[in-house]
Formats: sequence, structure tokens, C-alpha cells
Amino acid sequence: MFNLILALFSGAAGSLTVGLIPESKNRLRKLTVLIFAVSSALFSWMLAIDVFAGENIRIACELGRLTFSLEPDPMGAVFGLIASSLWVFAAVYSFGYMEKKKNKRTYFAFLLLSLTMTLGVAFSGNLVVLYLFYELLTFSTYPLVIHERSSEAVKAGRKYILYSLIGAGAILFATVITYSWSGNLEFVGEPVFKGLLRPGLNGLLLLFIAGFGVKAAVIPLHRWLPAAMVAPTPVSALLHAVAVVYSGVFGILRVVYSVFGHEIVGQLSISNILPWIAAFTILAGIIIATRQDVLKRRLAYQTISHLSYILLGAFTLKSWGLAGAVFHMISYSTLKVALFFCAGIISEKTGETNISRMQGVGRSLPKTMFAFSAAIMGMIGMLPLNTFWGKYYLMKGSVEAGKWPLALVLIGSGIINAICFIPVIVNAFRGEREKVSVERGESSLLMLAPTLVLIIISLIIGLVPGLIWPGVEAVVKGFY
Amino acid sequence: MREMITTNLPVFIIIAPLFVSFILPTLSKRIKLVENLVISVEILGIALAVYLVSIILAQRGMPLIYQMGGWSAPWGIELKAGSLGAFFALAIAIVGLPVALFSKGNLSVEVGAEGRTARYYTLYLLLIGALTGMALTNDLFNVYVLVEVATLSCVGLVSSQKRPQAAKAAFRYLILATIGSAFVLGGIGFIYIITGHLNMGFASQKLSDIWQNNPRVVWTAFSFMLVGFGVKSAVFPLHIWLPDAHSVAPAPASAVLSGLAVKGYLFCLLKVLYFVFGPSLMQVYSVHRILVLAGMIAIVAGSILALAQSELKRRLAFSTVAQVGYIILGFGLVNTKGLAGSLFYLLSHAVIKSALFLSAGAIVNVTGKKHIKDLAGIGKKMPVTMAAFTISSLGLVGIPLLSGFIGKWNLLLGSLETENLLPVIVIIAGSVFCAAYLFPVIRIAYFEPAPDNDLKDPGLPQKIALILLSIMIIVLGTVPGSVLELANRAAAELLAVL
Repeated sequence: MFNLILALFSGAAGSLTVGLIPESKNRLRKLTVLIFAVSSALFSWMLAIDVFAGENIRIACELGRLTFSLEPDPMGAVFGLIASSLWVFAAVYSFGYMEKKKNKRTYFAFLLLSLTMTLGVAFSGNLVVLYLFYELLTFSTYPLVIHERSSEAVKAGRKYILYSLIGAGAILFATVITYSWSGNLEFVGEPVFKGLLRPGLNGLLLLFIAGFGVKAAVIPLHRWLPAAMVAPTPVSALLHAVAVVYSGVFGILRVVYSVFGHEIVGQLSISNILPWIAAFTILAGIIIATRQDVLKRRLAYQTISHLSYILLGAFTLKSWGLAGAVFHMISYSTLKVALFFCAGIISEKTGETNISRMQGVGRSLPKTMFAFSAAIMGMIGMLPLNTFWGKYYLMKGSVEAGKWPLALVLIGSGIINAICFIPVIVNAFRGEREKVSVERGESSLLMLAPTLVLIIISLIIGLVPGLIWPGVEAVVKGFY
Repeated sequence: MREMITTNLPVFIIIAPLFVSFILPTLSKRIKLVENLVISVEILGIALAVYLVSIILAQRGMPLIYQMGGWSAPWGIELKAGSLGAFFALAIAIVGLPVALFSKGNLSVEVGAEGRTARYYTLYLLLIGALTGMALTNDLFNVYVLVEVATLSCVGLVSSQKRPQAAKAAFRYLILATIGSAFVLGGIGFIYIITGHLNMGFASQKLSDIWQNNPRVVWTAFSFMLVGFGVKSAVFPLHIWLPDAHSVAPAPASAVLSGLAVKGYLFCLLKVLYFVFGPSLMQVYSVHRILVLAGMIAIVAGSILALAQSELKRRLAFSTVAQVGYIILGFGLVNTKGLAGSLFYLLSHAVIKSALFLSAGAIVNVTGKKHIKDLAGIGKKMPVTMAAFTISSLGLVGIPLLSGFIGKWNLLLGSLETENLLPVIVIIAGSVFCAAYLFPVIRIAYFEPAPDNDLKDPGLPQKIALILLSIMIIVLGTVPGSVLELANRAAAELLAVL
């Protein structure tokens, strides 16, 4: 109980504290941010250990004839772990990245506030609370998107908030219908619609998926994500590759497994189409990525593609598919954050944001480019990186569901990933830089260290996948 | 003693503000005294309203009936404080106090000379008294009289700034409102002709017996009532007077006009529709469909018009047009959830819109800038004002844990009960629109660099008023408990399923 409260509200408390620290007190602010981010991660771990051990933790209160409940199950705990742990890395990276930038107080205050909102999504015990935090997450990340205050940033922010609000509107709509049909919105225990097969469920599921699909960047609801890349790089890394987009993915997982239940979804005619929607996004996303020249945009489209890996696994409705989805959720997040961190280091140290101008950056930034290459290997799905296992289980799930072409889609996506990113790496090491205005030497330790640590973690998980298997197993067992 | 208070409560709660308003003009030289009198009468109003609510809740919805002059109905005029009346009386009281507080010590800036201040307060209390009367009266002609009193005091409030635009807006309002009154009076006349009663209960009984003899007259009465109250409560497309009137009035006056006055007429419409015609007759004439349709059109059109405004107060005024749509839509749902949601939304919007208009007024007064784009950096200079504005914006959008959400949630459930998905979609789209026209203000205020000048939050009473309203938004959203209970009782009373 206390772990839950402390994990959840460390971010908000930190945000308030940071808000009170004057702009000029840099060291004090860094210390505060670190303390609160670490405490949130620490308590998330303690909470997750309890949850995996089968303990039932629930905080609920009735407000205005509606129950508001927080009740992390293994799936919520896994998402909470991913978010809160990566937050620490992003916070440390931000210390380096934001060194010479303006408005640090606002930046860190909202960064910490978004942590609470993300964990709120993870730990929510029913649809109302999920909706509440999903909506609040939009508002608390908006200031981060428009952090540059340029007209481009404001435009991207407007796009982001409009897409998200319309998505949230669809979720509210679906929630109200769920409530009026079943009178129950709780996640834990039996799925809400168990044994309540009725006409209209197809449309309801589609409505939910459309709503959460905005943040999960399912094509064609993805347009805000590439635009939001104007945000500072740590924000792109953490929020637009993990926290915010995962809240959409997580919402879909919740709806499919906790609201409808995989048995009911399996009986709906729409369940035959859903994996193909995900498959389409996987291929279309990565194909569009090959055509992007701005590195962050290319990574953004890759994110769009990879998020649908998770959805594909979920939509197979098989235990291996779900295991693959959860595994990919964990392993993809560490690598993608590392990739964005590298992109940030490149743009900070060489000033280059376009891939076509990155020839030879590998010579001045060897460690960064090493990390970048390793992460790309992971994105393609090669051993010994952790994403291999996720992809393997996903394929297993697809075959188990009798939809082997989906496995081909995953393999094809891996190949296009290679086509998309290997030339970048080759160029970076082989080409000559035209003008060397580069600050010699590697980037600051604060930015490089989190990147390398993430790569090392991914390698370790890749070599010993048993490390995270208990978590994945707990999630799958919760639903099967 | 206590019994005496209880029996006379319905009349006392109306008379108190009226009585004070009549003596205010004699004190026009002593502004401090006037202000304190108004605030104390508002505090008294809250105490009485809360007491009334507690009695009604304790009696499980049994109304308190007061016969004026001891004449029993149908000969005399009857005041009937049931759940519905108590609910609206509570709404008036909890909005009235912060608005009066906001006016304290600040008003002469806006209305010009000090002499005008006393006149302003006279009209303000007249309006409060008339609205409370509307909440409790059970007599049709009494409704008309109170509507007229309220209308004239509203017109006076609109024109209280000494500016040509104010005079123009007030005149326009006066003309349209009078046309509205004429329709209302006509409607009442038709009902009286066929039933021979002005008491709502008696008229309703008679009407249900004889309506088939005069179907056309009933139809005409319906339409006159809808148009009459529709003009007064700015139901789209009868709203054309509202944006000018509400944006030129002084801040506290706009707050009370948008927050309460419009609601008063809506409330009268609700009473006439449900207590006189009754839900079954509404369904016979498909009036409920018209209400739902009008509500949906108002939500969409009002929101789009609000988006097009570049002046802050005008944007808020058009937002009122949209929000009235929600309430009208709820009236047409004819089920407990929908009506309770509509009533709760009425209360919530009264609080929220007052907070929005008061904070907007404070901003406009301090900066002298009307346009939204000129408000860069206000959030840092006027933290309390902008915080209130932000909380109320979020409330209006309908974020859970704020009051707007509970109203919307019940409205949504009520709409779903009618098996019609269109209102559900419109209600949700309205929230997105609402975010689209309010959030840019917040973004500009907080995230654009502030110009170098020292602007400050308004004075202490103004800050207290804004904080009070913000707290109410949060409290109504988190622990609506007995207020929501009362709204549900009121809805049951309207549908006569006690």
C-alpha cells in the first residue's frame, strides 16, 4: 500500500519541490530530481516484487457514485517498472542535455509530473482512473513538447493535444458504454465482459482501440508523433518512445485482456482483422522510416512500427503472443531510449540532425556510435540483444494462433529495419566529415553513461532472458 | 423558534436579499457599509440555503410549502421548496457569495462613480432575490413577475459601465428579453385560458385531463414557453444578445449573468415543462426531441463560435451558449440520470463560469488587454488568478475529479439510456471543443515570455473569491455526495417517481 502511494506520488511531490527551487540553483535541482526519480523507481520495484509474489494491493474510494481504484496487477507492475526505471536514466541524461538550455525549472517539474501520470496509468485499477491519468498525462507532457517555444513546437504541441484529446474522448465514450452495459469498470478479477457477449461489442472494442491507438500511434492515427520530435531529445526518448506511447499500448492491452478478456475477443469477428491492422502499421511505419532524413523522425517512425509489434502480440490472443508482447515491451524500451540518447548526443556535439550529413561522426563519437550500432542490431532482432527473444515469442504466438503470415511480417520488418539503419552506421564510420567544427572528444559523461548502461542492460537480458522471465510469466498467468 | 424559522424559511430566503436591496439606495454615500451589507446578506443566504437543503434531505424530498398571506392554493400564491427548488437555491447562494466578495472594493474602477456602485448592488441583490424566487415559487404568474424583475436587473447590470457599447448591448438585450417575456406571458395566458389555474400543481392536473380537447392550444403554449425562455436563456440560435451583453458588463456582473441569470430562466423552463405540462405530455408533443436537438446544435455551434473569438470575455460568453446546450439537452432526456446530470451540470457550470469570468475580468482590469494573444506571461504575474482560470477550464472540459465531469458523466449515462448515440458523441465532442478554445489561453498565459511590467494579482477579497470558487469546483468533483443526492431527488421529483 505505502509502496504504491510512494511510487505513484514521488513524481508529483518532486515536481512541486522542483517548482519551488529558483531557476538559478542548478545543483540543488539536479539533486532533487534525482532523489525523487530514484525513490519512485525504488518503490516501484518494491511494489512489483509484492505484486509478482501474488499480493493484492488496492486503494479505492467512491467519489460521486463512481469507484476510483488503484490496483496494480502484474501487467501494471511491469509497465510501472519500465517507466520508473527508465525515468532515472532520462533524468540523468537530461542533466547533461539541458546544461546550456533555458527554462530548466519548467522542464524538470513537468518531467517529474509526467512520471506520476504514467505510473497512474500503469497502476490504475479501473477504466475511470485509467482515463483520468491518460488525460492528465497529455496535459503534463504538453509543456515538454512545446519546450522550445518556437512556432514549430507550438504547432506540434497543438497537434499532439488535439489528437490526444480526441482519442481520450473516444475512450470516455467507450467507457460510458461499458459502464452502462455492464455496470462494472474494474480490471482485476474476471474481465468485465466475461459471459456478456452481446451485439455491439465489435464496435465498442474498435472504439477503445481507436482511442488508445492515438497514443499508441497506430497508423493512421500517428501523425502527432513525428511532429512531437521537436521536443528536447530526452523527452523524445522517454515520452515519445516509451512512456506516453506505451500508455496507449498499455490501454489496448488492458481493454483486450482485462475489460473484454481474450475469450470474448476471440469470439468477436473483429479479432480476425486486428492483427492485420497491427501488421500493416509495422510494415508501413518502417517503410516510411526509410524515407526520413532527419534522424529523430526516422526513429519516430521506427517507434510507430515497433509499438505495433506489441499490439500484434496482444491481438494474437495466445499466451505466447502475450508473452512476446510483454517481453518486447520491456526490451524494446531500453534499446529505443538508448537510440534516442545517441541521436541527442550526435545533435548536441556535432550539430547534425540529418542523416545525410552524418558521415564520419563515428570517428569523433566512437562510443556513441558503438551504442547506436548495438541498439540497431537489437531493433533488427539479432542475438545477443534482448529484443530477439521478444520477437521469437511473438512469432511463436502468431504460429500458435494459426496466423503464420504474421511471423513473416515480423521477419520482413526486421529486414527493412536493417535496410533502414545499417547504412547510417556504415556511413558514420566510413565517410569523411566535410568541415570539422566538432568539439573533439566524446560527449559529457552525464549523457554517455546512461546510454551505455542501457546497452549493457539490454545485452545482459539478451544473454540471460531468464532474468525478466518471471515478470513476463506472471503477466501471462494473470490472464491465462 | 426553530419551527418558526422552518415554516417561514421559503419566504425568508427570498425576502432577505430583496429587503436589503431596497435600503441600499439610501446608503449610496457609504460604500463600505453597502459592500459589507451585501456580503453579509449573501452569507446569510448560504446559511439559509444549506439549512433548507438539510431539511429537504432529512425529509426525503418532502417539500416545504408556504402559503403567502395564509391563502391556500389555488386562491393564494404558493411557495414550494422541494428538492429541485432547494437545489437551485443552493446554487444561487454558493455562487452569489464569491461574486459579491469579488466586487468588494474593486467595483468603482469598473462602473465609474461611487454613486453607481450602490445602484449596481441594488440590482445585484434584486437579481439574486428574483432568482431565488424562481427556485421556490409554485405559481405561474409569479414566475412571470420574477422573470421580469430578473430581466430588468440584468439589463441594469449590463449597462452599469459608462460606455456607449454597454448602453448599446443593454438596449439590444432589453428589446430581445422583452420579446422573450411577451412569449412567456403569452404561454402562461394560454395555460390559464384552458385550465383556469395559475398554481402549477392544479394547472398540471387540469391539463392532463383536458389537453385532448385543446391540442392546438397546448401546442402553442409549449412553443411560446420554449421560445420565450429560449431567448432569455440564450439557447442557440436565440443567443444573439448574449455575447455583447456578457462581455461588456463588469466582471462580477458577467459572472452572475452567465453563471446564474441564464440558469434561472432555464430553471423556470424546466419547472414549466415538467411541473405544468408533465413528462408524458412532453413526449406526446415530442418536445423532448426538440430539446435534445436544440441542445446538440447549441453545443456544436456555440463551441465553433467560441473558437472564432479573439477576445477573452467574448470567448467565454460564447462558451456559455455552448454549455447551455448541455443543460437543455439534459432536459430532453426525460430520465433520472439525464435530469440529475443536467441539474448537476447547471450547478457546476454556474460555479465554473463565474470563476472563469471573474478571473478573466481580473486579468482584463489589471492589464487593460482584452485579446487573448496579448496575455503572454500573465500566469507568472498573476498566479492566483491564472490558477483559478486553469482549474475552472479543466473543470469545464470535464476532467475527472472536477465538478464538470460528474455532470457530464450522468448526462452521458442518461443519453445512453435513450438508446441514441448522437447526443453522446456531441457531448464528448463538446469537451474537445471546450479544450480547444480554453487551452490556448492557458498556454499563452504560462508558456509565452512575459513582458516587463509589474502586474499583480487583484486584492485580497478578489483572491478569496477566486480561491473559494476553485475549491468548490474541486469539492463538487470529488465529494459531490449530498449535492448529487439532491440532484437525483430533484430529478425524481421532476419525473414524479418519488
